[in-house]
Amino acid sequence: MNNSIKTVVIVGGGTAGWLTAGQIAARHNQKTADLSKQPIVKVILIESPSIPTVGVGEGTWPTMRSTLIDLGISETDFIRECDASFKQGAKFAKWVDGSDDDFYYHPLVLPQGFAKGDIAAYWLADQARSSQSESFSNSVCFQEALCEQGLAPKTIRTPEFSDIANYAYHLDAGKFSAFLKKHCLENLGVIYISDDVTGINSADNGDICSVITKNNGDVGGDLFVDCSGFSSLLLAKHYQIPFVDCNDVLFIDNALAVQIPYPDDESPIASHTISTAQKAGWIWDIGLPSRRGVGHVYSSRHTTEHEAKQALADYVGETVESLTFKKIPIRSGHREKFWHKNCVAVGLSAGFLEPLEASALVLVELSARMISEQLPANREVMDIVAKRFNETFLYRWDKIIDFLKLHYILSKRSDSAFWRDNRDPQTIPQSLQDLIKLWSYRSPADLDFTSNNEVFPAASYQYVLYGMGFQSRYEDFSPSLNNWAFAEQQFVQNKKMTEQAIANLPSNRELINKIKEYGFSSI
Amino acid sequence: MTNLVAIDNKIHKQVRIDSNKAELHGAELHLIPVVLSEFVNLAVQYPIVLTKNGDTGQFICVAMLGFKPHENLFWQHEQWQGLYLPLQIQRQPFFVGNVDVKNTEQGISSQQVVCVDFDSPTIVENCHNKNQGEPLFTDDGSETEFFQQAKARLAQLLQGEVTNQHFIEQLNELNLLQPLSVEISFINQEKTRLNGLYTIDKEKLSALSEQNVFTLHQAGFLEAIYTMIASLGQIYALIDKKNKRLEEK
Repeated sequence: MNNSIKTVVIVGGGTAGWLTAGQIAARHNQKTADLSKQPIVKVILIESPSIPTVGVGEGTWPTMRSTLIDLGISETDFIRECDASFKQGAKFAKWVDGSDDDFYYHPLVLPQGFAKGDIAAYWLADQARSSQSESFSNSVCFQEALCEQGLAPKTIRTPEFSDIANYAYHLDAGKFSAFLKKHCLENLGVIYISDDVTGINSADNGDICSVITKNNGDVGGDLFVDCSGFSSLLLAKHYQIPFVDCNDVLFIDNALAVQIPYPDDESPIASHTISTAQKAGWIWDIGLPSRRGVGHVYSSRHTTEHEAKQALADYVGETVESLTFKKIPIRSGHREKFWHKNCVAVGLSAGFLEPLEASALVLVELSARMISEQLPANREVMDIVAKRFNETFLYRWDKIIDFLKLHYILSKRSDSAFWRDNRDPQTIPQSLQDLIKLWSYRSPADLDFTSNNEVFPAASYQYVLYGMGFQSRYEDFSPSLNNWAFAEQQFVQNKKMTEQAIANLPSNRELINKIKEYGFSSI
Repeated sequence: MTNLVAIDNKIHKQVRIDSNKAELHGAELHLIPVVLSEFVNLAVQYPIVLTKNGDTGQFICVAMLGFKPHENLFWQHEQWQGLYLPLQIQRQPFFVGNVDVKNTEQGISSQQVVCVDFDSPTIVENCHNKNQGEPLFTDDGSETEFFQQAKARLAQLLQGEVTNQHFIEQLNELNLLQPLSVEISFINQEKTRLNGLYTIDKEKLSALSEQNVFTLHQAGFLEAIYTMIASLGQIYALIDKKNKRLEEK
């Protein structure tokens, strides 16, 4: 019997389900010329008509651009139909000392000249010598200025998916999911079953041979993807794969979300996520073309729901009574492994973390891509792929947890137990403590991150460290700063690029309006 | 700036237009929008390419007159030194405007009317100087032959815009466009890289299916495509013009 992988069954829709279905179908299900040579993989997606999707993640990473390209989606259609706008990074307000003018940026454009040399050390040295006050991100990157002025990362003449400044998206997760579904069904040949999964039929070797549905009988397959959300039907409920809780590191355990309309149709759309620190958590603020999505994530060990609601109401300038809150419990952590037997979990069924660096959708994209690219040819090699998948993603989850924690431990806030507790060494992973120790003598470098599977580049660590006032003590090493000419050149070049970009880019709102009216060209 | 006024045979009876001065409107243009019906005339001297409208990002057909903003290499000694003057220049100072008119049957409807730009240098200042320019109307208020020709040019432009749009839609649909990437060195070592210009992708053109070639041919677009490709050679003539100008300095 031939046990090649011919049918992939995805349990659950939502962005995780449809992105995974789309990635696999786009790669393996295309009607190519040599149809006879290409094994066609059938992709079936079963979505419950009764369970609403959680709709996590209104922020993406720039990776979403290549994901959309992979799926054969036009950027114009995507922006029009998913209420999407451009995101050029994150602004962290009140994270360092909580004062009104306390903010820093984590932009998406790498520091000037980063591919050729690292200028962070020169910026630090400059700062120590001359007490110059230009922020790190403003000195090395032109994107903060664009965000502060509400400008778009490109113009209507820039081809689709190309940029002038690197960008990701803000989007309406519900609309995005419906958009992906339509595309998967109409263009990618994904087979859709609207039904509830009620049970599982196992094979002798412990594999899932089919899932039992309420109205469509048994649906068989060779690989099952668990996109069933928090309920984690296959991986957790069926296989009992344990959950690795990380609430000892990341204290956030609840989210309250509200939707805020704009004063009028022409109100500016922020082209970055705004994260404002609170007494026991932080508030996200995401600008879509038609509304803002604002939410408060907090630690219930450090505040009450009532206080959290009040803080959110204060932030948006409304009363608690006038707002409709959607409450989402957050259990920070992930499954002990993600691929077990012939079942792999993608999305919330694999795990979840607070949305501080928009890691939810990017993990879905990375998982979907790896499953699609490394789709095992047959059952024999599946366990090898599974092992590699698990190693890759455990590494990625750990790195993300470290990076999120970094934001908390660099804070100097001591106005509440939440911030003080966050700096307790007991709560800081050893891997992060080691890096911090290294970086107290030099800036984060690419060689600190040697895995093929890194999620955050060294530049991201630099933006957060130096944005938050971290000091790398270069004085002992100052003789090694022997390329001042290069560094000065980069600082000057960055000033020039900032001026040029400001002079030529439209506002985020203006560009969105033009996309709605005219659309982008493909070249 | 333009100051457009709808033309009226009573109010504008005395107005005279000196069409020799129309070319002043193009003195500082380096790209000028063109329509398909004039491609053959243009290709004798001008490279015909596409660029994106700065406001909308949509492709438009243009003739190249220079390599950078405000540089019209055909403008020399206060004159347009070209065999053919693009329609967009010839049409000066006439435009088509829309006015809302009251209509007894449908309420208010929009109607196209011919307007004149009264800030144009073609307007003869002293309208009693009968030696300069042409009138729009005869003594009995009917249109002069000059004005009728001007209106015919406007009609050609209006029709041309519709055809251009179909043409560009077809080019987009068949993926026949590619960025024009050329780096040019002038005689004074000055270098320029042509940015934001597009042309026909010849490889994709030759790979078109029979059916698509036939469709393009039927629409009259095949000729336009090959005229555009042939006109690219005029970039060398344009470089030559630029070098000569640099030598004069």
